[in-house]
Amino acid sequence: MSVLRSMDKLPDLNRATVLLVSTEDALLQQLAESMLKDDCASELRVHLANSLPLPSNVNRPRIDLIVFVINLHSKYSLQKVEEFLQHVDSSFFLGKVCFLVTGAGRESHCSVHQNTVIKLAHTYRSPLLFCDLQVESFRAAMARRLVRILQICAGHVPGVSALNLMSLLRSPENPPSKEL
Amino acid sequence: MEEQPPERSEAGAEACGEKRGLSQAAEESIEDRISLLLRLRAQTKQQLLEYKSMVDTNEEKTPEQIVQEKQIEVKIEDLENEIEDVKSNIEMKSLALSRMKLSVALRDNMENMGPENCVLTDDMKHILKLQKLIMKSKEESSELEKKLLDVRKKRLQLKQASRSKLLEIQTEKNKQKEDVDKMENSETIKTMKKKLQTEIKITTVVQHTFQGLILASKTNWAEDPALRETVLQLEKDLTRYEKNPTV
Repeated sequence: MSVLRSMDKLPDLNRATVLLVSTEDALLQQLAESMLKDDCASELRVHLANSLPLPSNVNRPRIDLIVFVINLHSKYSLQKVEEFLQHVDSSFFLGKVCFLVTGAGRESHCSVHQNTVIKLAHTYRSPLLFCDLQVESFRAAMARRLVRILQICAGHVPGVSALNLMSLLRSPENPPSKEL
Repeated sequence: MEEQPPERSEAGAEACGEKRGLSQAAEESIEDRISLLLRLRAQTKQQLLEYKSMVDTNEEKTPEQIVQEKQIEVKIEDLENEIEDVKSNIEMKSLALSRMKLSVALRDNMENMGPENCVLTDDMKHILKLQKLIMKSKEESSELEKKLLDVRKKRLQLKQASRSKLLEIQTEKNKQKEDVDKMENSETIKTMKKKLQTEIKITTVVQHTFQGLILASKTNWAEDPALRETVLQLEKDLTRYEKNPTV
């Protein structure tokens, strides 16, 4: 029962680890496969998790990026993600946490409003990405994006740090409210 | 005998080819390794930088008191703005540096360039012309702005003058009204009013006396029009002159 800390362990050489957290297993599997298919110069490690806190008996490399996947069609995923956020140390939120939202395309099935997620991302000052993970091409594009973000968070890109990226991806201060 | 040297030369050629192939592969692998090493070096540098910055932040004391959420939000926004300021400063400085480097390199290469030289000098002359134009138009625009400012000032002054004039007119009117009111309450008017009242009383008495005289004489005053007019005139009530003195 431990809190995830960002700089507890030393990094492995040329290795970048991403932790995908969500209540939906299938999405995570598909996303992980897309990410591994993408070729990049560093060695990629993808860890999948259904719930935090992670069991502490496993020997795990340093986690560089945490991606919380929220499905707008189920309130349960949002609830769980909000619970998981308590188990993450605040040092992670300096650019090493990312929120990925899926299912925004079909408005009729959405039980979670977009503004809720936007506010959540704004509170935690983390970038919010929208993607429909069911479609292959979108998933591949998002996987590439995540791989680039992961490389920056792992320190593999000289001159750009995670904090730098966070301020680059900063969204406007007042999230615009959608007129119904 | 003659077949052997070509074979040997072929073998020699093959051996040379293989060696070349091997050395190429070796070169490529060496290049790969060098690039990998360079990349790893850049990585480790970046990671070291990140760890150093974390150590520095942990040395700072965090405030222990519970700050309200609104204040935390404001603080976070201030810090984010600071980050943005620092980033833009760095960008501008690196831009200036690269510009200086470019101009130095250009200056150094001016002698070496042949036919491309004229293109460069033409470009530079064009740049100078444009910059002179920019400076001139900036001066003109600043002059126009000054004129605009003067006109606005004059307008404001005129407005203020008209306002004060209107105020004066108003005070004058108020004063006049006050004077009229005062006069009405003055003593002369009161004495005049009293006189008017007594005159009206006297005239009324005289009227009634004349009425009595005519009636007592028992003449038929309705037949004679002149007499009738006189009687009707005597009937007129004079107290209405008291109420409305302007009539």
